Amino acid sequence: MKGLHIFGLSHAYGEHKVLDNVGLLIPAGELVCLLGPSGCGKSTLLRLSAGLEKVQHGTIAIDDLTVASTDMHVPPEQRHIGLMFQDYALFPHLTIFDNVTFGLMGMDAGKARARAMDMLDQVGMTSHADKYPHMLSGGQQQRVALARALAPEPKLLLLDEPFSGLDTNMRQSIREETLNVLKQSGVATLMVTHDPEEAMFMADRIKIIGANGRILQAGRPHEIYYHPSHEFVANMFGMMNRFDGVVSDGRVDTPLGSVATDLQDGMPAQVLIRPEGVILDSGGNGKGTLVEVTSSHLLGHDNIVRVRLGNGEGQEMYVRVHHTFEVELKKNISAKLDSEYAFVFPISDQTEALRMDASGPEVAVAE
Amino acid sequence: MALGATRASLSWLNGWTIGTVLIATITVMPIVAVLYLSLTPSDDIWAHLASTVLPLYIKTTLLLMVGVGIGTLVIGVGTAWLVSMCRFPGKSMFEWALLLPMAMPAYVIAYLYTDIFEYAGPIQVLLRETFGWSTKRDYWFPEIRSLGGAISMMTLVLYPYVYLLSRAAFMEQSICVLEASRVLGRGPVRSFFSVALPLARPAIIVGISLVLMETLNDFGTVDFFAVSTFTLGIYDVWLNMNNVAGAAQLAAVLLVFVVFLVVAERFARRKKRFHHTTTKYTALPGYLLEGRARIWATVACAIPVVFGFLLPAGVLVGYSLIHFETAMNVEFLGYAANSLMLSSLTAGLAVGIGIFMAYGVRLRNERLLKVMVRLASLGYAVPGSVLAVGVLVTLGSIDNGIDGFMRNTLGISTGLLFSGTIAAVIFGYLVRFLALSFGSIEASLAKVTPSMDGAARSLGHGPLSTLRRVHMPLIRSSVLTASVMVFVDCMKELPLTTILRPFNFHTLATFVHQYASDEQLGEASLAALSIVAFGILPVIVLSLAITRSRPGHGNGETAQ
Repeated sequence: MKGLHIFGLSHAYGEHKVLDNVGLLIPAGELVCLLGPSGCGKSTLLRLSAGLEKVQHGTIAIDDLTVASTDMHVPPEQRHIGLMFQDYALFPHLTIFDNVTFGLMGMDAGKARARAMDMLDQVGMTSHADKYPHMLSGGQQQRVALARALAPEPKLLLLDEPFSGLDTNMRQSIREETLNVLKQSGVATLMVTHDPEEAMFMADRIKIIGANGRILQAGRPHEIYYHPSHEFVANMFGMMNRFDGVVSDGRVDTPLGSVATDLQDGMPAQVLIRPEGVILDSGGNGKGTLVEVTSSHLLGHDNIVRVRLGNGEGQEMYVRVHHTFEVELKKNISAKLDSEYAFVFPISDQTEALRMDASGPEVAVAE
Repeated sequence: MALGATRASLSWLNGWTIGTVLIATITVMPIVAVLYLSLTPSDDIWAHLASTVLPLYIKTTLLLMVGVGIGTLVIGVGTAWLVSMCRFPGKSMFEWALLLPMAMPAYVIAYLYTDIFEYAGPIQVLLRETFGWSTKRDYWFPEIRSLGGAISMMTLVLYPYVYLLSRAAFMEQSICVLEASRVLGRGPVRSFFSVALPLARPAIIVGISLVLMETLNDFGTVDFFAVSTFTLGIYDVWLNMNNVAGAAQLAAVLLVFVVFLVVAERFARRKKRFHHTTTKYTALPGYLLEGRARIWATVACAIPVVFGFLLPAGVLVGYSLIHFETAMNVEFLGYAANSLMLSSLTAGLAVGIGIFMAYGVRLRNERLLKVMVRLASLGYAVPGSVLAVGVLVTLGSIDNGIDGFMRNTLGISTGLLFSGTIAAVIFGYLVRFLALSFGSIEASLAKVTPSMDGAARSLGHGPLSTLRRVHMPLIRSSVLTASVMVFVDCMKELPLTTILRPFNFHTLATFVHQYASDEQLGEASLAALSIVAFGILPVIVLSLAITRSRPGHGNGETAQ
């Protein structure tokens, strides 16, 4: 099979386990995003695939050729991969053109020139070919880095937080351009990010790594968002409203209504509800639960509304509503549940531990 | 294909480790040899030394260190504070001019000042003529060839180390902390003692440690002034008493002093890292000095420049002009060629090995390599006299080993292959100056982000190709600086060269020392002037570096 194939990969720095029995399959033409908190092994996985670090346990194959395992290691320069760094790592002493031809040393000069100009054309940078990296903006450097990585026609492209250095305004357009270029090239791509929105936008499939180095869930963006199989995954996409309860008759009760679950009756469970899963109704026709609005913030397209259950004394909730929905503070309105955005998970010992890990101090291990 | 690639890469990468271990072993051998030899019993020379000269050596060496330490501390920190914190006439000129005495080897100004201040010298002649004195008993005049004289000479040429490091420390200090101190009610002087000086203390300690290492290393001055320091003692026991073990034992005692200095330096360097709490840098405003303070500041900065460089250099130029006809001869050119050859060979080797080790450590982030690299750069702290003993003993046993092996197997005697050759001199230089080149190359490599390596490697370039095409262009100027530094230090080097050189082989330094010792300074003045002229090169490099390195100054390159 063309592409990247990883199986049984485990890696530790001293006592700290960053990858635990990780498997991964990326066929040519597909883009897989590795999503996880800082300090989980996602960057390590990238470095292991590139050959910048040696594999401790497991196997990595590119285009059916084993490039790394416990007792073998093909150096990065022989793996035919493209690698794009967070800081782009353009060579400051070379022009843009020379940067792009840097990986084409086997080719004859005329062909290399044509190939480089073709790549620069694809990313819209031909007019900057004779400039030096420091003369370019961040977005332009990003494009050059992409052209340089793709110029030698790698079998695998590795992207390490490729958009984190860009400001928010540019990020969206550069993401789109990058995606276009990648789809055109048909290369297998592994991208690492800690930004769930970015992963959702870019990826054909997403793999989520937890702080313990295990893959918690893998699937299409839609599945990850609408069917999180782990509380950690559900929590990744921003704040959640949480209610604890006990399973009875296959359902767990919340103040907004009950949610169905596969968990056994009698088990303590938590219900996580996305902010858009709470539907507010200012009409006040009596259906739903009465809540009091305590604050409202317009974020552009959406309004983030904070409400309190009951007569302003119960639990607080976050609600995401369309910007046209206008609320009045202190007013009582009714709320109900959209069960598509509500997920039930058992309350485990891990619940708190995972939460701590996810928000705890960053462990810089890969750098 | 994949498997073959792996094996090739593993053995290739091991080359860096093997090479570094080999280099480290060879460079640390002279030091080990001295320690080993000092522990082997021999003719009770130790008891003899301990009961006779040892107390004197210890006392003189300590006094010399204390004197030079205090002298360089006062001059170095004082001038550094003046030029970095105050505004007065000539400030911007003094910023670099204060480095000039670095170009003067201590032994050269020792010969010059002796010539000026001795009984037959111009000063005393003038005094006698003016006041009508006729003999030595008629008046008192300080004896230049004394411990005090040696302290003065070394202070005059070594204070730039302290100046350089404390100036850099003052420049790094954020103006915010100083302003905070002023706002909290402390005047400029009290702010200096309560804020600026404590913040700069680690840098000052590093500077003083380097000065004292140089003090222990000095041979020319103490030999000429007949000041009985350890270094002189080692030469005496080695060359006059012909006692290797005794010299090694003295050298081992001297190493105790060195260990103390190295520990102080390392400790201070480590402390330096935890410094600055604010990243807000603005240009230092400088206290505008007025009235008398202006004149005093100018005079205070002028004194070390005049006495450490201008006056001796002027005298030297005068002598060279007078004696040009006799001094400019085939011999002089030959010695100059010897110096140039030894210095450039060493500089090339030191830089090559420095790159090899620094890049090796970068490629293979291994504990063993790091330890080995530290071992290999120990030599900078070890006085030339100690190293010379170690090198001679090491090369002697290697020669004997080869000779014995060849005689046993082939029946040929190879004799002394390395001892007494220029290879021995270069080996000594390398052991002493490797740290200099390695240190600056390592620091410069550290500024190249690791993702550069990753990018080049993933684009199909191997470690060597990456080094050649990415790292070398980026660190070129540091490599050049390192080679200039090593080159000039070799030009000036005296204690190692004196012992290790082949019979009748002279460098400019040994030639100057020999002629000056025979009171024929005129004939040697051109050679001395050449050494000083080369010595100005690193001064230029350093003064350029110091003006560029200030955060918040320059053209915004620091704002990334």
